[in-house]
Amino acid sequence: MNLTNGFAFTCPFKTNSGNKALEHLPVELAGLNAFKPLIITSRELAGPKAIGTLINAFGDSGMTIGVFDDVTETADLNVVEQIREIFLKGQYDVIIALGGGIIVDVAKILNLAVSLKVADARQLSPATAIRDPLGPFVVIPTAAATGMETSKYAVLSGKIFTSVHLMPGLVVLDPRLTRAKDGKTVAEAGFAAFGRTLEAYIAPDKNPFMDAYAFTALRFIRENLASAVNKRCNKKESLAVANAVAMSGCVISNTDQNMLHRLGQVFQNTVHVHPGIIIGMCLHPFLDDCMKKDSSRIASLLLPLAGDDKYAAMPEAGRAGDALRDLCEFSYEIYRSLKGKIPRTITEAGIQQYLMKDIFDIINQEPDGAYLRTVIDRVGGSSIKA
Amino acid sequence: MILPDYYEFCCRVKIVAGHDALEKIPALLAEMGSKKPLIITDKGVAAAGLVDIVVNALKEGVTIGGVADNVPPDSDLKVVNQLAGLYRDNACDAIIAVGGGSVMDTAKGVNIVVSENATDLMAFSGAGALNRRLKTLVAVPTTAGTGSEVTLVAVIKDHEKHLKMAFTSYFLLPSVSILDSRMTMTMPPFITAMTGMDALSHAVEGYYCLQKNPLSDAHSLAAVNMIHQYLPSVTKNPADKDGRLAMAVSACLAGISFSNSMVGIVHNLGHATGSVCGVPHGICMAILLPYGLEYNMHKRGETIAELLLPMAGEEVYRKTPKAERAEKVVSLIRQMNQDLNEITGGRHARYFSEVKDRDGKQMVPREILPEIAKAALLDGATIYNPEDQDYEENLLVLEAAWEGKPLDRNKIKKG
Repeated sequence: MNLTNGFAFTCPFKTNSGNKALEHLPVELAGLNAFKPLIITSRELAGPKAIGTLINAFGDSGMTIGVFDDVTETADLNVVEQIREIFLKGQYDVIIALGGGIIVDVAKILNLAVSLKVADARQLSPATAIRDPLGPFVVIPTAAATGMETSKYAVLSGKIFTSVHLMPGLVVLDPRLTRAKDGKTVAEAGFAAFGRTLEAYIAPDKNPFMDAYAFTALRFIRENLASAVNKRCNKKESLAVANAVAMSGCVISNTDQNMLHRLGQVFQNTVHVHPGIIIGMCLHPFLDDCMKKDSSRIASLLLPLAGDDKYAAMPEAGRAGDALRDLCEFSYEIYRSLKGKIPRTITEAGIQQYLMKDIFDIINQEPDGAYLRTVIDRVGGSSIKA
Repeated sequence: MILPDYYEFCCRVKIVAGHDALEKIPALLAEMGSKKPLIITDKGVAAAGLVDIVVNALKEGVTIGGVADNVPPDSDLKVVNQLAGLYRDNACDAIIAVGGGSVMDTAKGVNIVVSENATDLMAFSGAGALNRRLKTLVAVPTTAGTGSEVTLVAVIKDHEKHLKMAFTSYFLLPSVSILDSRMTMTMPPFITAMTGMDALSHAVEGYYCLQKNPLSDAHSLAAVNMIHQYLPSVTKNPADKDGRLAMAVSACLAGISFSNSMVGIVHNLGHATGSVCGVPHGICMAILLPYGLEYNMHKRGETIAELLLPMAGEEVYRKTPKAERAEKVVSLIRQMNQDLNEITGGRHARYFSEVKDRDGKQMVPREILPEIAKAALLDGATIYNPEDQDYEENLLVLEAAWEGKPLDRNKIKKG
């Protein structure tokens, strides 16, 4: 790792992971001088069972808990404004987001609104200056995560807010909540986290702090994702994937190498396809190109993917090829066990022609747009003429 | 990779590293809304010219609210209160701590007083007493070892009342840590060696102690890799800028690891040896580290073996049979001590019997070992050690570490 050029790294969140992690919440909140949490969630997206489990965890703590459980996929700044009024009226002092994706995006912007004390949340925009740390904010991801919950990004109505202060101060991963209803959900979150951390891990400018998160996330996903997809009853493996997904939010917030992430984001914002699906399908063309450019970076992947013994046993010249083979086996196993529930190409994803035009318009505006287009073409994008 | 049934991990400190990282401080302070920092340091650091380098780097956009260089080697409540007064009198809004462990402790103490407007620091001791953000604290470590730029603990002594106050809170974590190669360039070889071994002891103990978790592990592995690669070469070539930066980064990684997974017998016996005989902490760590590994080998053999690949690389790993990998790690650490001993012309002690003070007097007479073994029973670091310790076992380890003989592992009571 070359440190000569210098670097900066930050991960503001604490991770509490494992059995009864939720039951530690009252103590954690008291440590932040917070005693009246408002839970932001969705009956539809997170489910009533998860909400019940979280509320029960407060037991006899004596804390008054508010719940807003009506976040929908189409939530916008109007919803944030609605919750802001509830937050102020109820004199809540901490925000807890329960769930993934849009739920956490709404909670992040709510935290921004109440911390900056804006008169109306609808005034907020990506141009809003966020200089100081915001109020206490906890994220409790469920299996239905996108991997961006712990990141410095929040996306609402296609607008991308970016600040390290949007990241949570505490992430709670509890095995009762990280088990998925179906294998597809786990695979989507897993692929999203895998692609993002993989790209950062093989980046030439990586630093050892970010690398520690990326390495751990890659190994956890490689070792656990297939089992978590196949045997959803296995709490431990789902929890390991959820840990990796949470770590990926830190990784993506500390790297500029985010091509796969940006591709995922474009499709998510435009056609509401989970970014993990796009990242999963683009992984192979992306790796092929990296292999042609600098195979030593691909070779370095063998250590987190295959483990110490296999890495050490393989002579240097064979490592890149082995890493690619391992990656193919890994993704093949997941696609096969999902029996077509996750599309492997743009065509299979059934994205309409007119929408592909919108997607290409956005991609063309990126500095590396021409290259991104070649990646999309190779996963079936070319068969849909925009 | 093992996922524990439950774990917690936290390091909120922003890390900024590089050969010119100090020059980033003005922009970082501005980002945090601070304009007038008080610089806290000690006379040694100032005399080495390091404060001048920091002050020079702050030229643009920052008004320095004062430079206080009177931090004693042992933190002192009186100094904390005096510096808090200076901070207030000069209307400062941030602290820049430039130095080692005592400077960091003092700066954290001052930060409590000025942020909480405290008159009695004691009211904030213990865990959980702080529950809101403190003022901006920028940590600039000048040794690559303690990791206190990323730890959440401060120890302040009240010398009048003979009290040692421990403060533990995530709010004590510095806002930013600046790892700049210039801050360690002038460190003499024997101090480079012992502080580097201190960092290695954090990385290694962090890897086998009871609160270890996947993230602390990853930080340990990275630190072990870099320390093994760079410590002997930097000790040999103090002007190696890249090596200095690598050591500063690895000490920080190791600090993050141990402050999350905690430390065990090496620190336990090391603290006791330090307090009974006044042996510098880094020397104690260097001497005791191989013994800590041997003491815990029967419980943590596989874990210790995992350190071989990052430490020695794939060829050594491949050639060492699986059953011998943990012992190979121990022998590599002994070899590091041997190499450092040679590089420093014998100043880096390998065994307690070799530790001498400035006048050449032996600092750890053999007959004092029972007193150290007893003192260690009162130190909290035993809680996180995988194997239990009692007086006889402490003495067993200390005797071996005094003579420089491998530990007779058959004599350990296996719990």
